[in-house]
Amino acid sequence: MKKLFMLFVLTALTLSACGGGAETTQPSGGEEPAAGEKITIRVWTHQNDSFNAGYETLAAEYTGMHPDVEIVFETFDYDTYIQTLQTALPAGTEADILQMFGSWVCSYVEGGNLAEMPSSVISMDDAKAKILGAPIGGYICGDKLYGVPQEYNIEYGAVLFNTTIAEEVGATNYMDGWADWDEVIEDGKKMAVVQDGVMTRAGLNFTSSDGLATMFHSVYLQNGEEYLTDGIYTVNTPAGLATLELMQRLVDEGLDDPILFNDDENWVGDSYFAESSAMGLIGPWAIPEYSGDYEDVAATTIYALLPSAGAEPTFAAASGWGLTVSANSEVQEAAWDFVKFVTLDMDNAVEWNLASGTLPALAENITGANADSLVSEFPYFEPFLGILEYGEFEGQFPDRDFVWYEVAYPEVLNFLQGNATAEETLQTMESSVRGSFE
Amino acid sequence: MTKSVRFFWRRAFRGRDAAKKRFLAGTISPLVLYMAFWTLFPLVWGLALAFFDYSPRRAGGFLGFGGGNPFVGLQHFQNMMDFSSGAALEVQQFHIGIKMTIVFAALVVPLNMLVTLPLAFMIESVHKRLRGLFRTIFFLPVLAPSVGVAIMWGFIFHPQRGLLNAIIGKFAGKLIGINWLGDPNIVIGGIPIALFAIVIAYIWQDLGYNMVIFIAALQAIPDNIKDAAKIDGANRWQMFTRIIVPLMSPTIMLAVVLTMISAFQVFDIIQVMTDGGPNDQTQVLLLNIYNYAFRYQKMGWAAAVSIVMFLLVISVSLVQTRLLRTEWEY
Repeated sequence: MKKLFMLFVLTALTLSACGGGAETTQPSGGEEPAAGEKITIRVWTHQNDSFNAGYETLAAEYTGMHPDVEIVFETFDYDTYIQTLQTALPAGTEADILQMFGSWVCSYVEGGNLAEMPSSVISMDDAKAKILGAPIGGYICGDKLYGVPQEYNIEYGAVLFNTTIAEEVGATNYMDGWADWDEVIEDGKKMAVVQDGVMTRAGLNFTSSDGLATMFHSVYLQNGEEYLTDGIYTVNTPAGLATLELMQRLVDEGLDDPILFNDDENWVGDSYFAESSAMGLIGPWAIPEYSGDYEDVAATTIYALLPSAGAEPTFAAASGWGLTVSANSEVQEAAWDFVKFVTLDMDNAVEWNLASGTLPALAENITGANADSLVSEFPYFEPFLGILEYGEFEGQFPDRDFVWYEVAYPEVLNFLQGNATAEETLQTMESSVRGSFE
Repeated sequence: MTKSVRFFWRRAFRGRDAAKKRFLAGTISPLVLYMAFWTLFPLVWGLALAFFDYSPRRAGGFLGFGGGNPFVGLQHFQNMMDFSSGAALEVQQFHIGIKMTIVFAALVVPLNMLVTLPLAFMIESVHKRLRGLFRTIFFLPVLAPSVGVAIMWGFIFHPQRGLLNAIIGKFAGKLIGINWLGDPNIVIGGIPIALFAIVIAYIWQDLGYNMVIFIAALQAIPDNIKDAAKIDGANRWQMFTRIIVPLMSPTIMLAVVLTMISAFQVFDIIQVMTDGGPNDQTQVLLLNIYNYAFRYQKMGWAAAVSIVMFLLVISVSLVQTRLLRTEWEY
């Protein structure tokens, strides 16, 4: 019986091992289409109704012009999509076109999974001229381009601002635009509420993970230094100290309590729309996300541009959603043609931005008629459109989320909570991020 | 079919009791295959991962090994031994994970015993008609999903809208804004307040389980022993400390070890309540493994940490077998 059992175990292991091996070599995509045969392009996206409605409209337009092409969309909820990409790409079982967030692209390029952009679609120089720096940055790995961004993901540059609270407390500096941080602090102090020593309403909630990490790196850039040069992360500098000093000042002046307002408690989106924060550092995606449930707050909310700590309102940004083509695709030419149609034609690109409620990645869409149509549909975009050109891609880290959520956010928060000095914080950040490159 | 395979086949299925063997093979093989594919294979694969710098994002060779995921031997385990201040963040977090897991288990086990054993004794002391009701009430949290329990306790501990601060505020006559789950500066006896808060939520959910075990053990104690103690003049406290507890010691040991193993494996309640914060003060080992395996895709490292955790749990299990050995019975 023991022998029999061993036989089954060995058979099972052999079968499972064979199964695993087969997965890595399985070809993907359709067969090379014969002349006159309909080409099927499979597209993978994450489940986002407005994003996908935009894709489907453009796909219908495209297939109307190219009757020999069929475009099939397959969508996954966000978490499943990440896991599916991580397993399908190394196994070679992915679709022809893959929706990607810019900061993911190079890690898949490293595995040889994504196709390089053919120069017939757009050259690197033309792409850099046509597409804004921050979004395109995520799609450039080494000196090659691997896709096209469709949106501009921005987390810093402007803050959600509750005009009703401002009116009640007489905060007026924002009306003409804040000239410097002193004016922000003056408004924020008036709008904050502290009762029995407990902050019940933050003047400016900037201590959530995305906001805090992006603010640190953005203000660092504004202070005139680069934090990532040739793969070396450097923040333990006078610019780093000045950045932490500004953040500490916001806490000391009573605009925010980093113990009560952070990622775990009073997260900025929830807190702002529940009116326990009068200002909140969060990207423009927050308004459509919350306006359904908090119609009254959304109606009196504006985005107020933050002043720059330096000469230019430079900020760090995490690229944005866009389209890439699988290196395994058998229909790469057709796939790139569809990507070009969706992303590089300025009218199609803005049509998708309008459908998805996202900021444009194309430089030509931040001014002119297309920008006007975006602002008329989404008035809160207006302040952002003026600063998009100052954005810098946050940089190619081996794991950007590790840097943002495991290093920058906890370390800066720890400093603001009074548990580390500025020098210790910068030193720890620097060594931890450099360690992640090894 | 080769000669040796034919020989094996004949011996296995055509000898005496062939029908019996075929029946056994037919019934057992699906389960064995299932176990081999879903349990044994992942186990072996996970073990192998610990010796590779493996990330599913990188292209590798067979089963993902080699290529972009090189063999690193014992490198991960050597890194774990780096206690210098310049150690990589994952190593520092691993050390924190070990420490917090042990502290968590060391808090949970005695507190759980201190609550559940007297509780079981008290429930057994009430009128028979009420016992079922109390058992149900105290066992209900065990049936609740951990995520729901974590969310509920998260509301209780919320600094501004939480029930706990509201109650304290009523007594203090002023607004209280203690962030029980998020203030890294409140530490009692070297243990962060957030960890205490999680321990309370964890014990609240878990106590019904041990209570049922203790009730079963209490019911198994023969009445003549208790009657003899009563005749000798033992009061309820003496009965509990001198008769009940010693007689239940094997059961108590079992409960201690089971609770400790379960405390080592705590994950969901912490992930929802604090996600390891504030400042990694509740970063237990399983959360650490999850983060590195699935958030940061460092599966080689996570597998190595899993092996350490496995060794920890197996050590506890060995202690269990040793401590549970009794020479007597009643």
